[in-house]
Amino acid sequence: MKQMILLGALLVALIGLVALPWFAPYFYIFIVTEILIMGLFAASFNLVFGYTGMLSFGHAAFFGVGCYATAMTLLHLKWPFLYCLLLSVGAGALLALVIGFFSVRLNEVYFAMLTLAFGMMVFSVAHHWRSVTNGSDGIAGFTLGDFGLGLDLTLGNPAVYYHVVLVFVVLAAAVLYLIGRSSFGMILQAIRQNPERVAFCGLNVRSYRLAAFTLGGAFAGLAGGLMAPFLRVASPEMLHWSTSAEPVLMSILGGTGYFLGPFVGSAMFILLETWITSITQAWMLFLGIVLALMVMFFRRGLLGTFLDWWLERK
Amino acid sequence: MQLLKPARLLITLVAVTGLAGAPAWADDDPIRIGAIYILSGSAANYGKFAQQGIQLAIDEINQDGGVMGRDLEVITEDSQGKASVAIQAARKLVYQDQADVLMGLDSSGVAQGLVPVMPELKKPLIITHAATPDVTGKLCNAYTYRISNNVAQNMKAAAIIAGETGAKRWTTIGPDYAFGHQSWEFFGKALKEANPDVELMSDTAFPRFGAEDFTPFINGVMAAKPDGVLISVWGGDLVNFVRQANNLGFFEQDMEIMFTVGAATEVLSALGEQMPEGVWLSTRYWYDGFDNDVNKRFVSAYIDRYGVPPSYNAEGAYAAVYAYKKAIESAGSTDGDKLAQTLSGMSLDAPNGTIAFRAGDHQALVGPNWGKSGPMNDKHGIRTLADLRIFDGEKVSRTIEETGCKL
Repeated sequence: MKQMILLGALLVALIGLVALPWFAPYFYIFIVTEILIMGLFAASFNLVFGYTGMLSFGHAAFFGVGCYATAMTLLHLKWPFLYCLLLSVGAGALLALVIGFFSVRLNEVYFAMLTLAFGMMVFSVAHHWRSVTNGSDGIAGFTLGDFGLGLDLTLGNPAVYYHVVLVFVVLAAAVLYLIGRSSFGMILQAIRQNPERVAFCGLNVRSYRLAAFTLGGAFAGLAGGLMAPFLRVASPEMLHWSTSAEPVLMSILGGTGYFLGPFVGSAMFILLETWITSITQAWMLFLGIVLALMVMFFRRGLLGTFLDWWLERK
Repeated sequence: MQLLKPARLLITLVAVTGLAGAPAWADDDPIRIGAIYILSGSAANYGKFAQQGIQLAIDEINQDGGVMGRDLEVITEDSQGKASVAIQAARKLVYQDQADVLMGLDSSGVAQGLVPVMPELKKPLIITHAATPDVTGKLCNAYTYRISNNVAQNMKAAAIIAGETGAKRWTTIGPDYAFGHQSWEFFGKALKEANPDVELMSDTAFPRFGAEDFTPFINGVMAAKPDGVLISVWGGDLVNFVRQANNLGFFEQDMEIMFTVGAATEVLSALGEQMPEGVWLSTRYWYDGFDNDVNKRFVSAYIDRYGVPPSYNAEGAYAAVYAYKKAIESAGSTDGDKLAQTLSGMSLDAPNGTIAFRAGDHQALVGPNWGKSGPMNDKHGIRTLADLRIFDGEKVSRTIEETGCKL
């Protein structure tokens, strides 16, 4: 019964999202586009953190590389957008494979520090390699051409682009969800709970961790690729460790224990930011207060706390 | 059944057409100006001066009956000096706050990011500070204008002065983004053209924008022993830079020193006597340099209200508001496309003289102001500019072909 209600709520939310451009103020198309992209970024991080139990502080590297990949191909090669996105996925996955190869052998704080170090290395390269990445100014001034597949879409129209993002995010989220439910996903969760025991079962824990890390990088790359046409600029800040902190905060705000937690966290984060910054510039102070309260009293996040309470209610 | 009387029909018709056309002229809503400046971090003072310039212009205009009977109103957003933040802010201003026109931008990097987005927003943008030549060059578009001078104009003037000093070996210290790199590029090109025997050194220094410690860069340049140094560091960075350079004896070396935005009053008042005498300082506008009625009124009203002389950023912002007033009145509309067309080729009386937006690239042909730092002006607490030279905007501007702009 409750399962049906949840499914119904999800369906209503999805219909609401599809219909958004017809009823919401124009400005909210931008807000929700950003929520969806950052939600996918946070969900890709949660595959690494919430499922496999690895707290990465370098996840922005894959997001940023995806953004640069799309921005640079649009600028120099003018590829159809779909191919740019595929390149972003590949770039995110490849970078995650390399960084993961060195990082997943370590645990806990050492893993966190190593991913942070690699993340800052990637940031430094983008920041200083002026002839290729245009340094601190980043890649801007690219134009949006065709989508690809012969589809006639005006990507420059924010409402059209919103629907493109919605389709990609929903598909990617579905794939991520299925990965989480598969036997592979179960093993990842088992690794989080007890890596020794998984190893004693004869499974190579390090390979599974590397696979999860690479997959997380691929989806973060996709989110980055979707971000480039939205922001119209790929800048080194997107690779900075402070951007790596955003999916961590979003996952904690929404709840790491449920698949949709990071999406809810992303919505909370961006809506709070939008509303609070229109009142005061000190929005980080308010975020800090909200976050401290969440961690102290609702450790399972907003969605997690609600679902725990609701599902256990007789 | 009652027949419609002709008179009543006529009244109804007039009422209906009147209602439909009403918003075009009988609108009591204020005309909204969306402004984007740096309001936080090391250059936040520039945003503050710009806001003051805007407010002064708006209050003057509103007291005088507004624009087409409507008041002006400003909504300001912080760009944080980041392109992505400024683009989001511009979307918010246009779609959420219903801004009719946009203005502002302090940073070249921000301008390069935002300008390509303007054709989607379909609102005019007058840049009042950001100086990258690209936005009235290869990135130019129908909606983007600039009322302040750009790097190409300023560096052409700088090269003329540099050539007269006779210094042969030149290097630079500039912020590590578009502005610093383009300042050096355009300075070098103009200097080399006029004086083929100068040497542009490969030892250049580009500290990060917002870097606190400039000591290694200052030491590096002193060790390289150039004859002349072009310094395009600006904002709070420039204040830190000059203080640290004083401590290291940088200004006692036998070198020509040129600050490309050194005569910003934001910087001069923060430094006071710490700004050394006898170095070349440039500004887009020097409050003491223009003997015309608009400037006299502007400077005295500004000092009366805020207690300090207006900076170039305040002047650019003030002039941009008046440019929009004139454009809206001549277009008779606040429609974005109509305004963008009206601004092209339009001229107005600004504090720095009569200026016009060139139709070919939308750049105002305004000349930079260069002078040597002189004795303190005790009343204003800042250095004076001696040997002030106001360059002719026509002479230092690139030709339309050189800009690469196609409109």
